[in-house]
Amino acid sequence: MQLKISHWLFLCLLVAIFLVPAQVRLVHAQTTQQTPVPQQTPVTEDQINVIARELWCPLCSGVRLDACELKACDQMRQEIGLKLAAGDDLEAIKTYFVAQYGPQVLGEPPRAGFNWLAWILPFVVLLAGALFLVMRGRKLLFVKPGPTALPTVGPTVASNQDEPYVRRLEEELKRYD
Amino acid sequence: MIFDVGYLILVTALLLAVFGVIAGFWGGRQRHPSLVDSSFHAVYAVAALVLLAASILWYGLLTDKFQVNYVWNHSEKALPTFYKFSALWGGQAGSLLFWTLILSVYSVIVATMFRRKQLGQMPFVNAVLLITSGFFLTLLVFAENPFKQSGFLPPDGQGLNPLLQNYWMVIHPVMLYTGYVGLAVPFAFAMGALFSKNLGNQWVRTVRRWTLIPWVFLGAGILMGSQWAYMELGWGGYWAWDPVENASFLPWLTATAFLHSIIIQERRGILKVWNVALIACTYFLVILGTFTTRSGIIESVHSFARSSVGIYFLVFLSISIITFLWLLFDRLPLLRSENEIDSVSSRESAFLVNNWLFTGLAFSTLWGTFFPMFSEILTGRRISVNAPWFNKVNGPLFLLLLLMMGVGPLLGWRRTSAEVMRKQFTWPVLGAVLFAGIFAYFSPRLYPTIGLSVCVLVIGTIIQEFVRGVIARRAVTNENPVAALFSLTRRNGQRYGGYIVHLAIVMIGVAVIGNTFYQSTTNVNLRKDQSVSLAGYTLTFTGLESEHTSNRTEFSAHVAVFGPKGQSLGTVSPGRNIYDKTPDQPTSEVGLRMSPGDDIYVVLNGWQDDGSSATFTIFINPLTVWMWIGGIVLVLGTLICIWPNPARKEERMPAQAGALADTAA
Amino acid sequence: MTDNLSLTGDIPTVGPDENQTVAPANRRVTIWRLIIIGLIIVFVGFLVVGLERTNKSDWRASGVAPDFTFTTFDGKTIHLADLKGKGVVLNFWASWCEPCRDEAKLLEQAWQREKGNNIVFLGLDYLDQEHAAQAYLKEFGITYASGPDIQSAAARQYGITGVPETFFIGPDGTVKGYLLKQLTSEAELTGYIDAIRPQ
Repeated sequence: MQLKISHWLFLCLLVAIFLVPAQVRLVHAQTTQQTPVPQQTPVTEDQINVIARELWCPLCSGVRLDACELKACDQMRQEIGLKLAAGDDLEAIKTYFVAQYGPQVLGEPPRAGFNWLAWILPFVVLLAGALFLVMRGRKLLFVKPGPTALPTVGPTVASNQDEPYVRRLEEELKRYD
Repeated sequence: MIFDVGYLILVTALLLAVFGVIAGFWGGRQRHPSLVDSSFHAVYAVAALVLLAASILWYGLLTDKFQVNYVWNHSEKALPTFYKFSALWGGQAGSLLFWTLILSVYSVIVATMFRRKQLGQMPFVNAVLLITSGFFLTLLVFAENPFKQSGFLPPDGQGLNPLLQNYWMVIHPVMLYTGYVGLAVPFAFAMGALFSKNLGNQWVRTVRRWTLIPWVFLGAGILMGSQWAYMELGWGGYWAWDPVENASFLPWLTATAFLHSIIIQERRGILKVWNVALIACTYFLVILGTFTTRSGIIESVHSFARSSVGIYFLVFLSISIITFLWLLFDRLPLLRSENEIDSVSSRESAFLVNNWLFTGLAFSTLWGTFFPMFSEILTGRRISVNAPWFNKVNGPLFLLLLLMMGVGPLLGWRRTSAEVMRKQFTWPVLGAVLFAGIFAYFSPRLYPTIGLSVCVLVIGTIIQEFVRGVIARRAVTNENPVAALFSLTRRNGQRYGGYIVHLAIVMIGVAVIGNTFYQSTTNVNLRKDQSVSLAGYTLTFTGLESEHTSNRTEFSAHVAVFGPKGQSLGTVSPGRNIYDKTPDQPTSEVGLRMSPGDDIYVVLNGWQDDGSSATFTIFINPLTVWMWIGGIVLVLGTLICIWPNPARKEERMPAQAGALADTAA
Repeated sequence: MTDNLSLTGDIPTVGPDENQTVAPANRRVTIWRLIIIGLIIVFVGFLVVGLERTNKSDWRASGVAPDFTFTTFDGKTIHLADLKGKGVVLNFWASWCEPCRDEAKLLEQAWQREKGNNIVFLGLDYLDQEHAAQAYLKEFGITYASGPDIQSAAARQYGITGVPETFFIGPDGTVKGYLLKQLTSEAELTGYIDAIRPQ
């Protein structure tokens, strides 16, 4: 019973870890598709900034293009405006800037080649850590309780609804009282 | 002349630090009383000399001694006195001196408090702290002399970096350094314990408190830095996962992990090796972070100019890691666990998962910070790792951490049965599910719905803990609820202060979710008296004014804000400061109206000189104010944690009179 | 271990079974220690390499001008290695750079003068935007070969820290001189060009 609960807990955590980024990508992809592509209407600053928020200034480190005040960034935003007017979408514009300035305008490593490591390693390390914990946890699961162990708190002991809780709290407070 | 003396003082301080290190180790090992005393005296003397050196530099800054290169580079005649004072930490050499000064102050406090206590380990503690001071003094003496003179007197200085001429930028580094540098203290205690083999519970208590103090300063410093970024940088956000920001965040993460796992050690006597390793990692991350910001190895907006100090840092870092590992491996038998974990669903396991997540986060943050360097060395291509990567990789981990914050405290020490679990979780989970349903109906977005529901879950568990604690307390003492709440918090500050800190973290989490997912923005050019609408608010540009102060011209636009029903909500005044010395580097002053619901955040981008029109970027940032409220609550909660427990004092009383009196009541 | 334990306040908690460690467990511990130490060495090694790189660029050690290829705005492909035997003036510029504007005229005039003397002028456009760059070339009437430095490939090899920067490459393919700031006078420029003039 104990073993199952513990395994479920860990399984849930692990599934969550891998699902959540997948969800982010999904949401991300949706917003991408929703970006309106104006054909003939003049491009507004706000439309440009929607794109610029996805790009990073290649001259500065860690400044988003829509917030960058360099003249170079201003010109990049104008370039986005021209591309939008020509009917390009976010992906096309991103591809263009990557070709011009390199992947550093993306603000994240491209998911290709060596740079996959950037994405994978944190999760590999986390998984390894989790595996280590689960294995050790199992090994230690039925080890004799320590010399100071108290009887296990279980439902059979609990006659009053809150009694185990009160006892636990008192046990903790007693250390100071 | 006096500046030559300043340099000599630094040299003397370095020599004394070296002497103190030798005295500490030698005296600690041989238990030689006069050498042990010498180590204390060295701590005091080094601190006095460093303070003197800093005072001389302050004197130079305040009296415009531009023949000193540092003063010339970081000050000017017209600089307001306040900023002349803060220019001490505005540049490389000065901030290294400031670092050393804060470390010296910490060392003196520790030496004074433990002058008669824990004498077995104190000489080693002194020695380790002096090694760190000595390292920074080495930098000051050999690589970055703050008193270097140019041999002639320039008429005026270059001026302080305009970005640093801001109120927040004056106190934020002080807070941050106080936290950052202070983390050397628990490391020194850990090393002292290892050296002297005093690895009992006393060590744990001392280190816990001495970690909490720098930890709260570091947390407050990071939040103040965010506040500065939010108010000054004008991009509507507060945290960019910049390498320098990460450098301050990394030790915070490992220190937080330590603060949790030390609780298990205190209660159950397990994880001793792990805890020592965590606190050492925290210290190494502090040194690594300082290295990152000082050497120019990683590009960042906040970096100091490139300099030669990098190699010193690497040598020091390598030597200290090797020494630590050698010592740790040697003392492993002394760090054996007294108990073992007997069930995976009990609270210990929750703490383990907490540590797993915190170290995982620290690893991924470290990895992301240095990955551009790895990638460039190995592939030759330059990439950047900014917010998008961190949000995708760290975001889910933070969410899990938030979830664990709700789950962990509800699990009992040792086994928790299914029945007890059900009782513990029913109300918070119901509350969270109910909230998720309602929220998703109004705003059907997956990620914020999950995030905010988890926040509700955590708040639910915290309230439940307080309510049950009060009920339990009243059952024993018959106090009224308020008195019960008060005495509960006071008697078990560690636990309930911890819950308040958790509450603060939830507030910050809520702010992050609001700002990330519900921000709206527009970029407009407004003629005078023209309006724009955004997210229900209407903003009208009413005029522009300018004023020349000592070293800059301040331009500010006035924008009247009206609510959804047309009611006036006052005026915001976004501005720009143009500095006389650096006119091409104008700084931005955001016009801000904060409210619990959302912030109206206006940036002035440009204007017609006659004030007839101006360009603005306007952001509506929902819930962002909770980040700063959370910061205040964080400090309060930590204060409750550190506040001396009334019962602790009674422990020292004879015959447990206090305990008897309490049972009688 | 000469430490005197009896004098200390706390008695260290030495496990009773300290001497019972078995050989396989010992080996596993050793492996773990080696892994930890190895990882730290690798990390510090990377830091050392990274630090080296920030402090100097490759060519400054050897003096050989790094080779590069670029395509000019009018579609011609230029390879530095093909220009051996000629003196090359390599100027990094950008349309958003104010000092570049000040030196543009100077460069074009020098190009007109030196065209016939086996001197080649190359303009590499650093992190620039196509339309703005075209307008810039038109504005200053620049006629020497100029094109975008795609993905800053050349800029990084030359380790430039900003624009404008000008490198003077001799007929033998080595860097004879460089200017990491704006050109100020014709005399200055001529001085540098004299150093790379083919004999």
